[in-house]
Amino acid sequence: MKRTFAWILAAALTLALLAGCGTQTTPPAATEPPAATQQPAAAETPAPEPEPEVTPEPESEAPASTVNTVILKEADSAMINTYTLLAVNPEAPFTDADGNAVSDVSINTAGAQALIDWLLSDEGLDMAVNYGQADYGDSLFYLLDGAPHYTGEIEPATPETATIRLSTTTSVNDSGLLGNLLPVFEEEYGYTVEIQSAGTGKAIAAAKYGNADLILVHAKSQEEAFVADGFAYVLPGFESERLSFLYNFFVLCGPSEDPAGVASSESVLDAFAAIADGKYTFISRGDGSGTHTKELSLWPEALGITAEPESFADYTDWYVSANAGMGACLVMAEEMGAYILTDKATFLTFQVNGGIMN
Amino acid sequence: MHTALQKALELILNGDRELGNILLVTARMSLSSSLIAMLIGVPAGIFLGAFRFPGRQIWIILNRTLMGMPPVVCGLLLYLLFSGVGPFGKWKMLFTVRIMVLAQVLLITPLVVANLETYVASVSPSVRESARGLGLGRGKTFLLLVNECVYPIFSTYLLAFARAIAEVGAVSMVGGAIAWKTNVMTTAIMQYTNRGNFSLGIALGMILMAVSLAVNIVVSLLQRRLK
Repeated sequence: MKRTFAWILAAALTLALLAGCGTQTTPPAATEPPAATQQPAAAETPAPEPEPEVTPEPESEAPASTVNTVILKEADSAMINTYTLLAVNPEAPFTDADGNAVSDVSINTAGAQALIDWLLSDEGLDMAVNYGQADYGDSLFYLLDGAPHYTGEIEPATPETATIRLSTTTSVNDSGLLGNLLPVFEEEYGYTVEIQSAGTGKAIAAAKYGNADLILVHAKSQEEAFVADGFAYVLPGFESERLSFLYNFFVLCGPSEDPAGVASSESVLDAFAAIADGKYTFISRGDGSGTHTKELSLWPEALGITAEPESFADYTDWYVSANAGMGACLVMAEEMGAYILTDKATFLTFQVNGGIMN
Repeated sequence: MHTALQKALELILNGDRELGNILLVTARMSLSSSLIAMLIGVPAGIFLGAFRFPGRQIWIILNRTLMGMPPVVCGLLLYLLFSGVGPFGKWKMLFTVRIMVLAQVLLITPLVVANLETYVASVSPSVRESARGLGLGRGKTFLLLVNECVYPIFSTYLLAFARAIAEVGAVSMVGGAIAWKTNVMTTAIMQYTNRGNFSLGIALGMILMAVSLAVNIVVSLLQRRLK
């Protein structure tokens, strides 16, 4: 018996060692940021398409791109996509899964405050609005007019406050924004930020279950409900629970042939009406995310499309509720030649990577 | 597939730091959870298989039912229990490797128990016969049975390990797939898939299968030596 266990132990140790070597044998020069995906090709891609003028065939501008899905409608005032920070209120009316009140939920308020202070400081805002210039020749996020601005001191980490749990949406995380910003903050002030990224709906649910110290989301109606329920609070030095600071645009994308002719429609609302009228395939996130929430607000009211599956049961011949992340939905749209609403940052990443699926 | 293979090789050859971390967390998680499940499940399985006692059948049925527990349900249950608002929120275990191990132990132990129970039930009459012949007590008989089970224990370990390394539903729920902390191979594959980066997902899948192959070779060799 002893021999058996000795062998098991030896095998386990060898494996652990092997796995350990994998991390330690990295060349010390490897100071690259811990970006999720190294895509060396991305940097070399020639400048992406010049965008504001929406033409039906921007294809010719991007020879490297094999993607047929293009931006058809953007920069419409109905398409502004605002990102908002909310600190979770430690005194919030938390309830457990059965609806019983829970009073002593531990929230790292100091950590959340430090991260928000930094994101809204000169350094944080500057990095955020310049993010994307290097890879896409264009910022992916813009500074909102009248965004809150923090000029005071930022509290460094203490052992109790060092771990910050940030619950956020896939778009800010997948676009690489947080991976670009947070290491600077962590380095400077000694915090570790743990990012959970999911759709806005799930990100907010995580906070309501006491599993996040702050959230960064983009769905006004859901944020307001979160505030109204008492889950957010006004941080010292700020005026509102909802700290909206960055924005970019949702874009309506579709096949470059544009059978519904949405590129020439007056407004984005008309474009959505045209898609519904012609029953052209449309991919909906269908996952309660910010993008999904936005999309629901753009359909003609007469259709009555909501988040409830019953509401679009009659439209299943063209309305596809995918219940998947933005990237997976974009791949689906590309495959099916469908229309899709997406945030611009994710779309540009998708396009620069050549639609990725191969 | 070709691109995926190329990407897999690139990731390995470049010594990608994040991949290294993901592999390390995966190894830590699946080795601990499979070994803990074995420590609990092997004695329990042998006990259930070898000895007749009132209520034994109920335990066996209960265990077989637990084998069918969907990982997502297991994950959801632990998520709610260990949430900030849950009864064990104080322990601050959510989004750690420890709770991922706990979830997997809950999922894997029933498999280990059932596997051992079935085997022992089939060999125990003859073993007990000889134990009685030698005049051994209950404790000694148990040890004799354990000795008989060395071969299936190795097979069961492979089953447990395979389940642990391949599981995604529960660990993504309780681990949160946090980069540099709780992201394992399967959750990373899910993440890349959700981003539409299918070939990187396949690349990670290939690496996962390679690790699995290596473990299987090592354990199978050990098993042969003992035979």
